[in-house]
Amino acid sequence: MMCSGMVSPDLILRALSKGADGVLVIGCHLGECHYLEGNYNAAKRVAVLKKLLAFAGVDPARLRVEWLSSAEAPTFVRVTSEFSEQIKALGPSPLKEVA
Amino acid sequence: MVEKVKARVQELLASGKVKGFIGLRELHGHIGPYLFTDGGDLDGFVIGDRKAAGDTRYPLNTQLIMISRQYPEETLGVLVRGCDERGLKTLFNTNQLKPEKVVSVGIACPQELADVCECMKPFPEEFVAGEASEARPFGSVERIESIEIGERLKVWLGEFAKCIKCYGCRNICPMCYCPECTLEAKDFQAVGSIASENPIFHLTRALHMAGRCIDCGLCSEACPADIPLRTLYKKIADIVDLEFQYRPGYQDSKGKMSPNVLGEAAKH
Ligand code: SF4
Ligand code: SF4
Ligand code: SF4
Repeated sequence: MMCSGMVSPDLILRALSKGADGVLVIGCHLGECHYLEGNYNAAKRVAVLKKLLAFAGVDPARLRVEWLSSAEAPTFVRVTSEFSEQIKALGPSPLKEVA
Repeated sequence: MVEKVKARVQELLASGKVKGFIGLRELHGHIGPYLFTDGGDLDGFVIGDRKAAGDTRYPLNTQLIMISRQYPEETLGVLVRGCDERGLKTLFNTNQLKPEKVVSVGIACPQELADVCECMKPFPEEFVAGEASEARPFGSVERIESIEIGERLKVWLGEFAKCIKCYGCRNICPMCYCPECTLEAKDFQAVGSIASENPIFHLTRALHMAGRCIDCGLCSEACPADIPLRTLYKKIADIVDLEFQYRPGYQDSKGKMSPNVLGEAAKH
């Protein structure tokens, strides 16, 4: 997506129910948004969704937000492998369509 | 109590301050929303107490939106409890209604109703009948939080499993006014199919109530499966308050706009 501010929480929920065991939202560093405040919105929304997931009984660690620029390949690799290890440890998402 | 309300409505209609008044009327043993236009004819005017206080409430603000869209020049009156007033303020903030075209007539809810509702403000700012009852904390939210997180999902899934996907919760909601509903977007939800995509159907709706739900409880009342939806939405209201310092309907109508919790991308 063009901007982390465009990642709607609907889409995150959708991903979790359609098979993703975790969702990592990566946006530009705070203060460096091309659209001014897209990443601040993303941060707030992820925070709201994490708390809702916790209330519903889903480990909020399945959702994470990180700020990275395109010039930070090594950090990208570290963040994504770290996250994927963490999700593996948590096991499959209990949100996967139960119906 | 109802006589005081009727007197006020009569005065508003007779003086021409309002063109019509949206309230409740009992007809053939049923209570439903009604547009009163003649102060001299308030036959059947009720405030929705049948067996218990407030047991026949309706989302009158929804009727108000519908009628005022058809008659944008007219000023209309509407019966409000505390929650309806919170709804009005939020609808003003989100440009669904014009404050200068609405005159509300308030009633305060008795303590028994405030207890059942776990209501933070069981009375509007001004009311012509009733007495201000005490606010009550969200005990239902605390009860869920006392369950260990790993067990909570089981509790919720047990509740959601009863859903027959009737959309009653959405249809009754005075704050659900989107022209296109995500819960009916084909790429999002299998429309009509039962069972619903649990728990996504319910969590998506909860998310969409962020910054909007005014905690009237009509959804829970309407739900034929008795799912404690209101508890879920009470929690989302707490979360939004924590993250945005905003609780819909508690700021004055010229105050803070509702936060862009979902963002543009959420509009389908
Ligand atoms: S939520 Fe319940 S107690 Fe509170 S104002 Fe509405 S009807 Fe009355
Ligand atoms: S009102 Fe209840 S049963 Fe109907 S769609 Fe909503 S949650 Fe499901
Ligand atoms: S309590 Fe239910 S019906 Fe009332 S505003 Fe909130 S979601 Fe809508």
